Amino acid sequence: MNELYDIYTSLAHAEGILLYIAFTIRFLLPILALIILVRCGKSLLSDHPEDEIWGYLVDEAGNRIPLRHFENTIGSAASSDVPLEDESVESLHAFLIRDGRGEWLLHPAKPGRVILCNGEDFDEPLPVYAGDRLTFGAVTLVFAPSTVEEEQRQAVSRTKPGGLVSPGITMFILTQFQLLLCSAHWISAMDELNLAIPICFGALIVICWCYYFFMRALRRMGFEIEIMAFFLVTIGMSVCATSTPGELYEQAAFLIVGLLAFLILGWFLRDLGRIKTLQLPVAILGVLLLGVNLVLASRVFGARNWISIGGFSFQPSEFVKICFLFAGAATLDKLFSRKNLFWFVAFSGVNVIALVLMSDFGTASVFFVAYLIMAFLRSGDVATVILSISGAGFAGFMAITIKPYIAGRFSTWLHAWDYANEGGYQQTRTMMAAANGGLFGVGAGSGGLYKIFAADTDMVFGMICEELGLLVGLSAIACFVILTLFVIRSAKTARSSFYVIGACGALAMMIFQIMLNVLGAFDILPFTGVTFPFLSKGGSSLLSCFCLLAFIKAADTRQNASFAVRLPKRYRKAVKQMRYDLSEEDEEL
Amino acid sequence: MKKVKTRTISLLILVLLMCAGMTVYLVKYVRNGADWASFSANNGYYTKGVLSVGRILDRDGLVLSEYGSEKGRRLFPDKKITRISTLHLLGDQHGYIGTGAVKNFASELIGYNLINGSYSLRSGGNDLYLTVDADLNDIAYQALDGKKGCVGVYNYKTGETLAMVTAPSYDPVAPPDDLTSNSKYEGVYINRFLSSTYSPGSTFKLVTTIAAIEKLPNLEDMTFHCEGSAEIGNGKVTCTNAHGTMDIAGALAYSCNCAYAELALKLGADTLADYFEELGLSESLSIDGIATAQGKYTMPETTNDLGWSGVGQYKNMINPASMLRLMGAIGGGGTGAELRLIQTVKSSVGIPTGIYKADTKTLLSADTAEWLTDMMRNNVEDVYGADRFPGLDICAKSGTAEVGGGKDPHALFAGFIRNEEAPLAFIVIVENGGRGSTVAGNVASTVLQAAVEALEK
Repeated sequence: MNELYDIYTSLAHAEGILLYIAFTIRFLLPILALIILVRCGKSLLSDHPEDEIWGYLVDEAGNRIPLRHFENTIGSAASSDVPLEDESVESLHAFLIRDGRGEWLLHPAKPGRVILCNGEDFDEPLPVYAGDRLTFGAVTLVFAPSTVEEEQRQAVSRTKPGGLVSPGITMFILTQFQLLLCSAHWISAMDELNLAIPICFGALIVICWCYYFFMRALRRMGFEIEIMAFFLVTIGMSVCATSTPGELYEQAAFLIVGLLAFLILGWFLRDLGRIKTLQLPVAILGVLLLGVNLVLASRVFGARNWISIGGFSFQPSEFVKICFLFAGAATLDKLFSRKNLFWFVAFSGVNVIALVLMSDFGTASVFFVAYLIMAFLRSGDVATVILSISGAGFAGFMAITIKPYIAGRFSTWLHAWDYANEGGYQQTRTMMAAANGGLFGVGAGSGGLYKIFAADTDMVFGMICEELGLLVGLSAIACFVILTLFVIRSAKTARSSFYVIGACGALAMMIFQIMLNVLGAFDILPFTGVTFPFLSKGGSSLLSCFCLLAFIKAADTRQNASFAVRLPKRYRKAVKQMRYDLSEEDEEL
Repeated sequence: MKKVKTRTISLLILVLLMCAGMTVYLVKYVRNGADWASFSANNGYYTKGVLSVGRILDRDGLVLSEYGSEKGRRLFPDKKITRISTLHLLGDQHGYIGTGAVKNFASELIGYNLINGSYSLRSGGNDLYLTVDADLNDIAYQALDGKKGCVGVYNYKTGETLAMVTAPSYDPVAPPDDLTSNSKYEGVYINRFLSSTYSPGSTFKLVTTIAAIEKLPNLEDMTFHCEGSAEIGNGKVTCTNAHGTMDIAGALAYSCNCAYAELALKLGADTLADYFEELGLSESLSIDGIATAQGKYTMPETTNDLGWSGVGQYKNMINPASMLRLMGAIGGGGTGAELRLIQTVKSSVGIPTGIYKADTKTLLSADTAEWLTDMMRNNVEDVYGADRFPGLDICAKSGTAEVGGGKDPHALFAGFIRNEEAPLAFIVIVENGGRGSTVAGNVASTVLQAAVEALEK
């Protein structure tokens, strides 16, 4: 009997130790999250990306005006990329646009402007070459694009990311975060641990490092955006491990698919020529997808936004987001045309209306907000009138077609506690769970909110606050704030407006989704059932998030940072040689 | 491209909106987090809607409330009389008594705080020690002798509420069948001390006196003449008998209506209303988060009403808890502690989880309080009889509030003990009890004897 008692006490003691380990992990997780965020944020936001210079326009006095982007406006307006102070020059006179192969086209901004190339008049976009004399009004400039050697030198001399904050160490810290999270799940479940949890967390770690080494092999040094995505996916995995551990494999598989899509789309986005030819087909594809959805979709929980094919169900609207961005972003020469803007407004309208018809008001409003941001980026103040009209039209349309179940959600809005067991059921449970969690959470796998319907999607932020604490929840949101600041910063050195608009549109979608998801679950906004990017469980959502991320990554113009920025093949050897020479010089010094 | 760069600010606006929304959430979280966590759907802390963690103990460590898993409900004290006397303090098992400690202190019992949420290393919740002495509560309940009413005793230096009793009450383990039908259980789910308002009767004369001390510079030299009734406005103000000529101390001691009607006319309705408010009688107190009912001063319509208002027989209403705090403030030389019910909260491993200390509040000046104290002592010595309160230096004012309808008036007795060692203030209200000083005074005497003993223990 005594022996039995001893065994019992030692077991009880061991469990006590585990309790204290779990207790410690609660505090370590937010600390690691903070370190990851600070490292990514510092790396993204404190690098000063030097301007790229792709050529010059030389005036008669011999002054060189740099061309800092692939797409440049020429005009008398101070906001022009090439400002020409002369009465004969219109405020927006012409565009000078370079393609990925280094060839330049001169576009007149509007018919009737005086533009001469070597003294000859022209209407259509005209290829221009080194030494051409370009006349705008009464001003004549000589075109001097960068030579191949100058471009090579520029590629070598620009600061590469990763110098300030080593991405490898950030990855290592992320791995610690993942291991701790997995341990917390293990301690919480003890004997009842579902093996899927350690297996999938292990797979997650392997996938992250594979991606890292693969990109390092391609000499890429900028990983901040991907690391933040991995961080978010890790938290999403934790949510899935609590709510439906059986679906972890699916989640891990979609992570791989998502990363592949991220790489492929990123690679695709390199070539603006390719993009331009595909914009119209993609727009049509998007509208068709929604059309098919409208006809075929089954009504799931009020909204008709799911299509099920052979047991595999997905939300087409997630993929339409990508089409919307792809077709909605535009290169500079398209921006200043009212005709193009009209088509954009019409295209957006069709998308939003289709979603409203599906009763998917959450996604409809996400599209609408992305539309607002993108329309503003495209048109500036000129089209505020159009914006307000279309905005009012949207609101009016919504008001007319409000369905009973949508109206129900609005009626409990701001009164969730008065209808705690009816319309406010999910919101009150989310708030209760978030309060249980405090700043550090009750421990991964130890929460109770997961039992409520849609906890791992629409109320995912509540689950995170409950299990991992408010601090980890806020870190997840902070990732998107960092991404926004980064995109705004890199707009300065952006090559094409397509990338800026694409990245801003992608972020607008994600941020508004976060607002609807988090604030909706907390009864600050109406509860619309929208997912939180990367965190909410769901394959199509994860896949589409990685595609959106590719648009953000494409805005990264730092040297060797983005796979979306090409270093032309013909440079590579020369660049390598130059680097070698430089390092030789260093050693000699 | 420069233009496009400038326009990216629109995205920043969206992010700022998100941050603003999150700030709203954080404010809500800080302000309401405790309520959210004590929501009865919170599994792990509630079993079928019953709070299943945390214990409530009295100041001496007697367990008053804990969860009994076999019965699937919270258990009440072992002794029947304690179950009855603490029913309104703890709350009934259905949650009908809104001010019960189990319901209102749920977040403390769960162990909720902003930093850790409801997390605890070992589940089981916290131990919450009340300031109340269960034995004293029993004595107070018995002293009411089956009559409706309430008793409150608190330490005006520390704010600890030692006794809080409401009658009628019942044994929650065996609720009577006629609980809802029998008139003797009328209002049984109301904690009368916290949630009721009563006509103050002559205890209101204390308010009039305070106003008079501060507003009438020659009050000390004033004399009042009472012939049993007086013409005030177009009506009469009457006394039980003719009190003759007296000064202010005499007027208070004999509770002379004629004198106080005269004072009320001198002071005016606005002054009385101001003092009613200044003395905290129209305020809703927050006793560790439990809100009390608010008293109300009704502006008199006629001069005669004004006279009766100064006497305490107009439509004015007071809440026993706020009246008790006023007694504490007078006893404390103008400043008294705010009432509190939580002595301390300890985690399951015995570590205190918070600091529970009373704030103090100054309701009247020290000079006024000193003079009034002397007069209230004089009441006891001259009229009520000091020998009825052996060994206690009691200062008090009685009240007899007419309720009409052919019923006996409510008896009120409020005051404090003038003693550094036992700084206790008290209020006793016996509904339809008859004369204030006799009926309610006896209850007070019994309870205070026991309270002082408990303090010495």
